[in-house]
Amino acid sequence: MQQDGLILEAHGVRKSFGSKQNAQEVLKGIDLRVKEGEFVGIMGPSGAGKTTLLNVLATIDRPTSGAIRIGGQETSKMKDAQLSTFRRDKLGFIFQDYNLLDTLTVKENILLPASLGGLSKKAAEAQFQDIAGILGITDHASKYPHEISGGQKQRTSAARALINEPSMVFADEPTGALDSKSAASLLGTLEDINHKRGVTIMMVTHDPVASSYCSRVVFLKDGALYSELYRGDKSPQAFFQDILNVQAVLGGDRVDAR
Amino acid sequence: MTLVDLVFRSMRKNIRHYYLYFFALIFGVTLFFIFSTLQFDGAVSGETDLSAKMTSGFKAATVLLFAILLIFVTYANDLFLTRRSREIGLYQLVGLTKRTVSRMLIIENVLLGAGAFIIGIGAGLLVSRLFLLLLLKLIGYEGTVSLSFSGAAFSQTAMLFAVLIVVTSFRMFIKVRRTKLIDLFNEDKKDEHPKQPKPVTSAILGIVGLAMMIFGYWFANSKYMLNAFLLLNMLMVLALVIVGTYLVFRVTIGWILTLYRRSRNGQIGLKGALSVAPLMHRMRANAKSLTVITTLSAMTLAMTGFAFSMYYSTGQEVRVGTPHDFMFTEREEANEPLPEELAGQFAKSLDDAGIPYNEQAITYVHTIGMFNGKHFPEILELEGRTVDVLVFDWDQLNASGLETEVPAKGEAVFHDSGLSWLLTDKTFPFDASLQSGDLKENFRVSEMGDRQVTSGYEGVTTEFVVKHDSYMKLKDAAPPESLHTVVGFNLKDKDDLKEASKLYQEINPGNTRLDYYLSYQDAISYSGIMIFITGFLGLAFLASTGSILYFKQMSEAEQEKRSYTTLRQLGFKTSEIMKGIRRKQAFVFGIPLLMGLAHSIFAIKSVSIFFTSGDIRTPVAIAMIVYSLIYLIFAVFTVGYYRKTVNDAL
Repeated sequence: MQQDGLILEAHGVRKSFGSKQNAQEVLKGIDLRVKEGEFVGIMGPSGAGKTTLLNVLATIDRPTSGAIRIGGQETSKMKDAQLSTFRRDKLGFIFQDYNLLDTLTVKENILLPASLGGLSKKAAEAQFQDIAGILGITDHASKYPHEISGGQKQRTSAARALINEPSMVFADEPTGALDSKSAASLLGTLEDINHKRGVTIMMVTHDPVASSYCSRVVFLKDGALYSELYRGDKSPQAFFQDILNVQAVLGGDRVDAR
Repeated sequence: MTLVDLVFRSMRKNIRHYYLYFFALIFGVTLFFIFSTLQFDGAVSGETDLSAKMTSGFKAATVLLFAILLIFVTYANDLFLTRRSREIGLYQLVGLTKRTVSRMLIIENVLLGAGAFIIGIGAGLLVSRLFLLLLLKLIGYEGTVSLSFSGAAFSQTAMLFAVLIVVTSFRMFIKVRRTKLIDLFNEDKKDEHPKQPKPVTSAILGIVGLAMMIFGYWFANSKYMLNAFLLLNMLMVLALVIVGTYLVFRVTIGWILTLYRRSRNGQIGLKGALSVAPLMHRMRANAKSLTVITTLSAMTLAMTGFAFSMYYSTGQEVRVGTPHDFMFTEREEANEPLPEELAGQFAKSLDDAGIPYNEQAITYVHTIGMFNGKHFPEILELEGRTVDVLVFDWDQLNASGLETEVPAKGEAVFHDSGLSWLLTDKTFPFDASLQSGDLKENFRVSEMGDRQVTSGYEGVTTEFVVKHDSYMKLKDAAPPESLHTVVGFNLKDKDDLKEASKLYQEINPGNTRLDYYLSYQDAISYSGIMIFITGFLGLAFLASTGSILYFKQMSEAEQEKRSYTTLRQLGFKTSEIMKGIRRKQAFVFGIPLLMGLAHSIFAIKSVSIFFTSGDIRTPVAIAMIVYSLIYLIFAVFTVGYYRKTVNDAL
C-alpha cells in the first residue's frame, strides 16, 4: 500500500488545551512511525499525554498542529464527516471501560459497526462467527453486557473493534479494569490476532506486564517521546525486565506494576 | 458564600432543565387564576345572566386543573430530583448536612414556585380580558363587561400554590433524608438491566392486552351496551380499555419488538440499536406513565371533541326540538286564546315590521299505535305495547316551509328525537298499525327523519309523516278531541330571527314561550362555556402530558449520552445517529398519541348517539388534528434536545 509498509506516520504533533492566553501544551511535537503488523505499546507516567496521543492519532481528537497519515491518508486534514467514515471503515477501538451499549446483546454490539458498511448479512454473520470463535465468546452471543464478566466484556469490545477488518486497532488501557488472569488471557489473544491476522495494534497502558506482550514500547514523558524499546527475539520475561528498567529511570508509575 | 448564593448559582446552572417546567407552571397558574376570576367575578356572571351554569362549570374546571397541576408538578419534581442526585450527593460529600441540602432544595423550589406564581398572576391579569372577550364571543353575548381584580381568585390561586409547594417540598425533604450518599452517586446508573422476556408468558399477556382493548371497543359499540346495566357496562369498558392499554405498553409492544429483534439474528443495525433496543429496555419501567399519558390524552381528546361537536352542531341540535322558527300551540293551563288567533296577531306584527315569512296551520291526529318489527333494541320493550303516535300531513308541513323526507304511498316517515338515538338503520323498515277512532290503518315505516316536525306536545314525541290521503282517512275517523292544531311560522330570511323573536315574545307577554332563536341563544351560551372550559383545560392537560414526555426523554438522553459518545468514537455520524433517535421518538410520542386517538374515537363514537342531528366527524377531526399538531411540537423539541446531546457527546 505504502512504502516500507508504514501504516501510521505522525510528524510534529502538538496538542494544547485551554484558551489561547492560558494554553497548556500536552503534546509537544511528537514524531512516530508505525509499520504494518506492529503491536506498539505506549507507556509513561500519569499526565505524560498517553491517552491524548492515542485520541489524536485515532482521529477522536484533532491535533493543534502537525500532520498525521494513516494508511497513506492525511487524517489531520479531513472534515468531521469524512473522519467518521474513516474511523468506521479503517479503525477499531478498545476502551478501558469497554463502552458496550447496555441495551444490546453481545452479538448486536459486535455487529454494530458492520451495520452501515456494505457488508451483506451473510458475510457479517460469517465474520462474526470467525471473530467470536477466536475470542471465545460464541456461547455468550445472546447475553447482555451486565450478564457477563469484565474479561468477556473486553473480548466483546475487541470483537467489535475487529469486525470491520480495520487497518489498525487502538486500545486505551484495555486491561485497566481486569483482574490479572483475565488481563493475561486477553493480551494473549490480542497478540495472537496481531500475529495471525496481521492487525496493527496500538495500545496505551501503564502496566509493564501488558506492554511486555508488545513488539515495541514507546515511552512518553511530559508530552514528548522519551525512548523506545524493541522486543526483538527476547522472551516476554526479559522484555518485561527491560521495560521495568526504563520505567525506573522515568519514574512515576513504577508502583503500579503488578 | 451563603446558602442563598448557592441556591441562585445552582438555579442559574439548571435553567436549561427548568425552563419548560417553569413555562408549564406559569401556564397552569395563569389558567387557574383566570378560571378562578371568571368564577368569582360577579359582574361577568350577573351581566351575562349565566351565573349558575358558568360558576359550576368553572368550579369543576378549577378542581380538574388543580388535580392535573398537582400530578404534573410532583412528577416533574421527582424527575428533576433524580437527575440532580449527583449534585445533591456532592453537596453532602463536601460537608453540607442533609438538613442544609434539603433546606437549599426547598428554598429553590419556593423561589421557582413563587416566580411562576407572580408571573402567572401577572399574565393572568393581562390576558384575562382577552379570555373574557373570547368567552363572550363563544357564547354569543354582545355588549361589554368590565373585569376587575378579584381578591377571592387571588387567594384561591395562592392556596393552590401553597399546597403544591408544601407537597413538593415535603417530597424533597423525604427524598434527601432517605437516601444514602452512595446511592445518590449511583442513581443515574441504577437502570433496570435489560432482561430476556419469558416467551410464553409475554406472548399470552401481550395478546390478552390487545384483546382487552379490542373487546372494550367492540362492546362499547355493540347492542349489549344499552341495557339496564348501562352504568356498569360503561365502567367495565373503561376498566377493560385502561388495563388493556397498560398491558400493551408493559408487555405487548416489548413482545412484538422481541420477535422482530430475534428475527434479525443480531443484525439490528444502528437504527435498531437506537430505537428498538432502548425502547424494549425502558418500556416496562415507562408503562405506567405512558398509560397515564394515553388515558389523559384520550380523555382530553374525547372531552374537547365532544364539546367542540356540541358547539359546532348547536344550530342543528336546537332544530331537532324546535323545528319551526316560531310556533303557536294549544295550551290548556294558561287559559289563553286559540293558537290561530295569536298567530293572526303575530302575522300582523311581522307584516308591520316588513319581515317575510311562511305561515301554516298544521293539524295532527293523535292515534294509538302498535309496532311490529324484528330489530328494536331490547331496552325499549316495544313488543306488544301500544304507543301514542301523532300523525302529520306532509303537504301541510311542506307549506309551512319545513323540509322533511317524502313518504311513499302506504308508508310513513318516523320522527322521534327521544328514540332516534337508540335506533339503527337495521330497525327499518318495520310495520305499524294506527288506531284512530274505529279505523285501523297499517303503515310500513320506511325511514327515520332527523328531527321532530313539531316540538313534541303532551309528552308525545313519536310522530309519523304520511301522504295526504292516508292522513285524511285517519283524520275523518278521529274524534274531535284527538285533533289538534298548531300554527308554524318560518322566516324567509333567517337574519330577521332576532327582531321577530322580540315581536313573538310580545304576544301575550304574561305567558312566555320559547322560540328557535331563544333556544339557540341559550344552547350556544351553554356549549360556548363548555368549549371554552374544555378547550383550555385540554390545553393545560396537553401541556402537562407533553412536558412529562419531554422531561422523561430529556433524562433518557442524558442516560444514553455515554452510548452516543461510544458510537461517535466508533465512527457514526451525528446524522446517522439522529435517524435512529428520530425513529425512537416516533414510537415514544406516536404510540400514546395513536392509542389516545383510537380510545377517544371509540369513546366519541359511543356517545355520538346523543347527537341526533347527524354528522360530527368534521368537528371531531378538527379537534383531533389541532391536538396532534400541538402534541407534535413537544416531539420536535425533544428531537432538538437529543441532537444537542449527540453533538456534545464527542
